[in-house]
Amino acid sequence: MSAHAATAPAAGHHEPSKFHYFVALAMVLAVVTGVEVVLVYLPLAKWFVVSTLCILSAFKFLCVIFIFMHLRWDKVFCTILFFIGLVLAGGTMWALLHLFGADAAKPLSSVAGVLLF
Amino acid sequence: MAQAIAKSDYSGGTTKHAPAVKQTFEVFTRPTAKTGLVGWLTTVDHKKIGMMYGGFAIMFFLIGGLEALLIRTQLIVPNNRFISAQLYNELFTMHGTTMIFLAVMPLNAAFFNLLIPLQIGARDVAFPRLNTFSLWAWVVGAFMLNVGWLSHFVPAWSGFGGAPDVGWFGYAPLTSKVFTPDLSTDMWVLGLQILGLSSIVASLNFIVTIINMRAPGLTMMRLPVFTWMALVTSFLLVLALPAIAIALVEVMFDRNFGTNFFEVSGGGQPILWQHLFWVFGHPEVYILILPPMGYVSEILPTFSRKPLFGYPIVVFSGVAIGFIGFGVWSHHMFTTGMGTIATAAFSLATMAIAVPTGVKIFNWIGTLWGGRIMTRVPMMFALGFIWMFMLGGFSGIMHSAAPADAQQQDSYFVIAHFHYVLIGGATFALLAAIHFWFPKFFGRMVPEFWGKLSFWLIFIGFNCTFFPMHFLGLNGMPRRTWTYDANMGWNEGNLFATCGAYLLGVGIFTYFAVLVWSFFKGQKCGNDPWDARTLEWSIPSPPPEYNFAAIPTVHARDPWWYEKHHKEEIAKERAEHMKAEESHGGIHMPDQSWYPLISCTGLLIGAYNFAQLKHPVMMFGKEVLSSHFPLAVAGGAILVLGCYLWSLEGPGGYHLHLDEKGNATESRGGHH
Amino acid sequence: MSSQAATGAIDHHHDHTTSTGIPNKKLLWWAFLASDCMFFGSLISTHLVYRLNPPPGNAVPTQVFNIELTSFSTFILLMSSLLMALAVNSIQRGNIKSTRNMLLGTMFFGCIFLGGQVYEFAHFVHIKKMTLSNSIFGSTFYTLTGTHGTHVAIGVLLLGMMYVRTFKPTHGNGLIKNFLHLLAVCVVMGVSFIWVVPGLIEVIYGTPFLEFVRHAAIPLSVGAVAFASVIWYSRVAGAVEFGEKNAGDVEAIGLYWHFVDIVWIIIFTAVYLLEYL
Repeated sequence: MSAHAATAPAAGHHEPSKFHYFVALAMVLAVVTGVEVVLVYLPLAKWFVVSTLCILSAFKFLCVIFIFMHLRWDKVFCTILFFIGLVLAGGTMWALLHLFGADAAKPLSSVAGVLLF
Repeated sequence: MAQAIAKSDYSGGTTKHAPAVKQTFEVFTRPTAKTGLVGWLTTVDHKKIGMMYGGFAIMFFLIGGLEALLIRTQLIVPNNRFISAQLYNELFTMHGTTMIFLAVMPLNAAFFNLLIPLQIGARDVAFPRLNTFSLWAWVVGAFMLNVGWLSHFVPAWSGFGGAPDVGWFGYAPLTSKVFTPDLSTDMWVLGLQILGLSSIVASLNFIVTIINMRAPGLTMMRLPVFTWMALVTSFLLVLALPAIAIALVEVMFDRNFGTNFFEVSGGGQPILWQHLFWVFGHPEVYILILPPMGYVSEILPTFSRKPLFGYPIVVFSGVAIGFIGFGVWSHHMFTTGMGTIATAAFSLATMAIAVPTGVKIFNWIGTLWGGRIMTRVPMMFALGFIWMFMLGGFSGIMHSAAPADAQQQDSYFVIAHFHYVLIGGATFALLAAIHFWFPKFFGRMVPEFWGKLSFWLIFIGFNCTFFPMHFLGLNGMPRRTWTYDANMGWNEGNLFATCGAYLLGVGIFTYFAVLVWSFFKGQKCGNDPWDARTLEWSIPSPPPEYNFAAIPTVHARDPWWYEKHHKEEIAKERAEHMKAEESHGGIHMPDQSWYPLISCTGLLIGAYNFAQLKHPVMMFGKEVLSSHFPLAVAGGAILVLGCYLWSLEGPGGYHLHLDEKGNATESRGGHH
Repeated sequence: MSSQAATGAIDHHHDHTTSTGIPNKKLLWWAFLASDCMFFGSLISTHLVYRLNPPPGNAVPTQVFNIELTSFSTFILLMSSLLMALAVNSIQRGNIKSTRNMLLGTMFFGCIFLGGQVYEFAHFVHIKKMTLSNSIFGSTFYTLTGTHGTHVAIGVLLLGMMYVRTFKPTHGNGLIKNFLHLLAVCVVMGVSFIWVVPGLIEVIYGTPFLEFVRHAAIPLSVGAVAFASVIWYSRVAGAVEFGEKNAGDVEAIGLYWHFVDIVWIIIFTAVYLLEYL
């Protein structure tokens, strides 16, 4: 990609460079993004496409946080800290969507809604 | 007063200073004044910051109380015309907003600042300048919320339309431009946003401080309960405030940029505001009550002469309350027609929260049981807390049953409930805490008789005011109504409540008057007047600038109690630590800085003008600019510039060297 | 607080001055990101809630979106994350020159993303006639993606500050030079994402190149001057006070940048892709 020199003079003091690991991951993520876009146009069952999109997005998400953001190699408390926020946000979103998706919450005038419930 | 502070050890009055030299990237040298205006404006010392939070908070607590007395006077008799309905709306809005955001929260922040570093054996918080920023940002927010009052007195400011008047929870669509066209709501929105920013930044600081800066040997399960509650509260703040931040952004966009978030004609739904607000609002009430539970958990053991009963379960319950608290918000919305399943789910979750709360109460009672009870003033407030908070919990559990809540919602029953938990609970604990830690930070005791007198006045006054409100509410009196007719059956209740309110006012006045007297004339005391249990009592009263001469090693829960009973072991450790620190260059202290203040000045100018974006700038009746936008940008630029220079300034720092008598000399340079 | 003995290798995974071994700044940023999850969670919730029962007269997303451009933007942001990770990797190995290049690369890709957003917004408003106020979809979409875009822009600014910081001289005040250097970097970034990238996207979609040059003549020339300044300032005159010990700061900015990327991953799926079903 660019001129990354892994020839630091004190090479013995550093752990092995993660350069190739990162580049490989980036390629994988790019391919996954491409798959997502193509998937939308394929004539498959809606539930299948939605589930696959969610799984692929989750995969990209987890790869970035554990590898690019280094959580895999850091103290586990950082992971716990972040997941507290993530789970809470996800849970709140889930609750709000159910609250607004309930029959009682339907506005008097609306067209058929997008997927979900 | 300034002299008294200046002479005290508190501000390092006797230390010889080492002047700063300009470093790379600095515009001016670091300020080094420890006293005077500059000293207080640029301080990064957590103790001074705590004092300032406390001072502002008490001032607003009294203002909020005045607002309440005006409300109660209006309601003393039916069909009263003491104040106008418009002013009444402003008063109940600002009473709620002031008490929550400008009194209880900053009082808790004051204790977080004063106590946390001392209780964990640290010299300051993790990010001292960020701590200063939180303080001044809070001041900006307080200003924004209250500037509207000026429009009642100064004709030039009449465009503000008075103080905010949409209720402390600002329901849509009342907050839309259609129903509230004047600036009061815009100031309310931005004031709250800035207060949110201040709280989030402060909480991030405390999370890192508590987790990362504990003294050696201080494991999480040896932390004082107050510090644990502060940690949980900080988590709640950083996780709950974003929801209201977004809700406020949406209101602001609706008002100023024509979006449709809560605009029905454009497809919006006002109920979304309620959801987003209460997603924040419910954790907010736990944010208000968990630190008071922490104070009580420190005070009860001290005055029962016993350790806290069931420490792990008290801590765990606090954590449980915090996190279940995120799942109950719609119990504020039982009457909005959410549907059976949602209503039932939130009802059950709300009942569930009573369990860890009850567990804590049992543990506090367990602490008292078999102890040698000393009924000093802090203990009386703490005992009052347990009882009054329980009563508030009973009315709370009554609310959790959704069908019953259908009758109670929006009635005086709710007012009774939350004042029992917020005054009987949070305020009593805060008053206990102020009495308890006053000797530590001012080096003087508060006279017992006057303290006890103020307790009884407050206790009786409080119950006389709010107990009748349970019945007023169940008898149909609605909230937030300016006046009532004489044939509703509410006359005696209101008269009694107002008299109680005046008595409460006298009690509060007595309490604070006694404190002011004690500051000047109270009996001087040493480091541990209560024979207490945690580390802050191991250092002089008032504490020196550097907190601890030697960072302690912690061997057990209630570390100071252990130290008092293992004096030789501790003395040896202390000597070793002091030698080690001196050999590493001395005690490292953070440098003061101008930039948090400068950044907040930019924040003030930016926010004040951004609220008035669509209005022209008028000076002496003439239009000077067609919009406030350029001024808002200027404020933003100062904020960015302040932060930029702050980032370049670096942490800086200097060293202190202590001699045998505890006198300190400063030195700079050397390696940090 | 930061009393690192400069002897021996720096352990980038353990800070012995803290109770947990996690450096204070790193802990602060992770806590902040947990908070930011709730922030974006509320915004995304608002958007999705209003997709459940759309009112009549609402904008129709599939008729407004340009999914190829958005997919390309997603790819660009992912690549910027790669460059950011490489920047952190470089500074942890003490390679300042590579760090600078990687930081510049991250900023460059960030600006391409932002430029794509600018083009997209302008296109939606002027051609597709979807504005902030004329539909609920417009309100929620622009607020959500605009907030994300603002986060990206702040990230580019922070990266610029980090980049310029790598030139801090060991001796002398250096403040004016730092400020001008940063100003030049900001002007280059600003010109690129407001005029250059959207303009080039227009060219790709058929606008004649010369018309683009004419249209954006002033910003282009200002940008060119700023670009030349950046090149000039990047000549290193003497010893710099920046090295492996500053890896923690670069890592901190990296956390923010990656977070902005993962938020986009969610937005891309929930706001764009799901509409096509």
